[in-house]
Amino acid sequence: MNIHLIAFIVLGILAIASAIGTIATKHPIYSAMSLIVHFFALSALYLTLQSPFVAVLQILVYAGAIMVLVVFVIMLLNLNEDEKQTIRIQSRNSFGIVLAAIFFIMIVTFIMSNPLNQPNSTNVYNLFTAQSLGSVLFTKDLVAFEIVGILLLSAIVGAIVMAKKKLIN
Amino acid sequence: MNNIPLEYYIALSGILFTIGTLGVILRRNAIIVFMSLEIMLNSVNLAFISFARYLGDTSGEIFVFFVMAVAAAESAIGLAIILALFRKKQTIYVDEVNVLKH
Amino acid sequence: MTITQSYLNNLMASVGYFAPEIAIVVTFIVAILFDLMFKKSKNIAAYISIIGLIITGFILSGNIGISKSLFDGLIVVDPYSTFFKFLFLITTILIMVMSLSYKELYDNNRKVGEYYSMLVGITFGMFLLASAVNLITIYLSIEILSLSSYVLAGYTKEIRRASEASLKYVIYGSLSSGIMVYGMSLLYGATMTLDVAKINVAILSGHVELFPIIIGGLMILVGFGYKMSAVPFHYWTPDVYEGAPITITSYLSVASKAAGFAVFIRFFKDLYLLPATSDINIWNTISNFHWQTIVAVLSVLTMTVGNFVALWQENVKRLLAYSSIAHAGYILMAVVVMTNVGITSILLYFVFYMIMNLGAFFVAQLFANKIGSDDLKDYIGLGYRSPVLAVLMTVFLISLTGLPPTAGFIGKFYIFTAVLDKGFVWLAVIGVLNSVVSLFYYAKIFRNMFLRSVADDTKNNFKFSAPAFPLSIAYVLAFATILFGLYFSPILNWAENSVTMFK
Repeated sequence: MNIHLIAFIVLGILAIASAIGTIATKHPIYSAMSLIVHFFALSALYLTLQSPFVAVLQILVYAGAIMVLVVFVIMLLNLNEDEKQTIRIQSRNSFGIVLAAIFFIMIVTFIMSNPLNQPNSTNVYNLFTAQSLGSVLFTKDLVAFEIVGILLLSAIVGAIVMAKKKLIN
Repeated sequence: MNNIPLEYYIALSGILFTIGTLGVILRRNAIIVFMSLEIMLNSVNLAFISFARYLGDTSGEIFVFFVMAVAAAESAIGLAIILALFRKKQTIYVDEVNVLKH
Repeated sequence: MTITQSYLNNLMASVGYFAPEIAIVVTFIVAILFDLMFKKSKNIAAYISIIGLIITGFILSGNIGISKSLFDGLIVVDPYSTFFKFLFLITTILIMVMSLSYKELYDNNRKVGEYYSMLVGITFGMFLLASAVNLITIYLSIEILSLSSYVLAGYTKEIRRASEASLKYVIYGSLSSGIMVYGMSLLYGATMTLDVAKINVAILSGHVELFPIIIGGLMILVGFGYKMSAVPFHYWTPDVYEGAPITITSYLSVASKAAGFAVFIRFFKDLYLLPATSDINIWNTISNFHWQTIVAVLSVLTMTVGNFVALWQENVKRLLAYSSIAHAGYILMAVVVMTNVGITSILLYFVFYMIMNLGAFFVAQLFANKIGSDDLKDYIGLGYRSPVLAVLMTVFLISLTGLPPTAGFIGKFYIFTAVLDKGFVWLAVIGVLNSVVSLFYYAKIFRNMFLRSVADDTKNNFKFSAPAFPLSIAYVLAFATILFGLYFSPILNWAENSVTMFK
């Protein structure tokens, strides 16, 4: 039992528990709080994977931007009534459970059957810094980065179209 | 130094992915459905980062940036649509969306 | 510094071939800006978009015959992608022109500038998708395409069914893209690269685990199948097609589907196939996994479900939605073969499918402008109330069924030839039987228009036709449908020259 394994187990359990909390609680606001815990747990997991830059981004983008948006919408809609039952098993839903079970089995088999490429556990700390990631992002993947700009532009236009009260000339 | 096998991370990511999928399929509240989608995308990020770390390759981490950008765009659009629907119908329950019959 | 310098040189060398996409982006931004600046003129974004796309077409014609890898392998330009890009351009321009006369869209003094600029944005996504050969670009372009489609499906959001359609579309769409991107992570983990061609090299080298590659491929298939609306990833299709504005319905059923097929064929051909192309067993990179069987099953399911469920539909939009699912099934038959002949027949089919499907939806739109309904029962007697439109509709329906002398017949003929050529007799038989089934529901529209007597209430008995400009577009489409049924060798030659992909 070393310190890394303990950290992994604690964070992993936290991540799973908060994910279950997100999908199982009644009111959206509890889900949102649970999801924020989930994001922080994942961010810490990224630190154990020697990826500090992504860990910071995780907090900034998900916990900072996306969750603020979600909480804002929950507050705006101000839903008083809760869902009657949190999880209901119906014929429609059983299809989904089968689907999820298939994923789970597939992924578990994938892990059991398969040693992957043997990891070369070198120290990659210098590889995943902001500097080195930035130099890849702005040389090799520059065009993809620009494409994301277009994606965000069309998302902004789309979000305004949908969220505006009335689209009138 | 870090001797946790890669499989542990991938297993965790698979479990989280399954939880997210279940949330999307089982929940009726559209906002919670979108949060479950975020869990799915985050499990993808975890998988990419652990692969990148164990393979010693940056392109996995680069992909994570793009997944994050898309997740932000997707949730913005999704929430805007929820808002539009709520204005019209005062509900965000996916089941009660039933003018379109099956 | 030298590395940066070499990337810069690569960038400068590539950017010329990227000019069509840049032109679209410029059009997109100019359309948004002008729409905001000139609030008085309602359709300025539409005109700018149409002009910009026509200019893009001219720029794109400079890329004909060029086969080149751009931007360090992020995207490629090759005859295959250029063919699809022209298809997307023509479809988008036609849809924009059709939208100009769409009553439901202009109701309530609605602002339509964003509608047209987002169509331009979608076109950009499809352009990228047709030439994407890297998992990053595939994912990003699918998302650009999807995000704008979600919004456009709900653009007439005052109408409840439209915003509901939009919600269903966004939930199912994000679910399938989430599954797809997980599959991409598995491919990356097994091969340590995001470049499709390099993944293929890694698979062929035999040093990688095959299991994650198979699972990853299946999960990516979910994402592509969603775009192609192949059964069992089709369940969003009828609801979204019925709820969305009819112009967007026809756009999704043609362009978005074509984009899905474009990336599906390229991805699987590049990733899982042996480079040797003339072999009958070209699917077998991974010797013990039968991709061919999976695609064949998908194809049979898609056309059978599409055709049989269409039999019971009472709404024309919904009926045409199921019919478009069935057509995806026919096209998948040729994907099973995956030879050059098969891909040629797919390209050919898409040109004809675009013309006839847009035509059918357009006439349905012109009907809806006047009678305000898409229900099949409201089509009763339209043959007498509006003979011209009804005859045009009949032409498109005949072509969709696949009867001579129309373009639909030629398209089906080439697909069946390609399938039989490789000995899939059972598949071809199922395809022909399905075409027979489709005759019943297409005939149902025809019967309601012509063979059933007009109800006696006088208020619904006025005669009508369409304004001259939309009517002339419908004429052109109908003329093309019949012309290409008789004389199609230019299109065939073009398709034959377009099957070469960059490798």
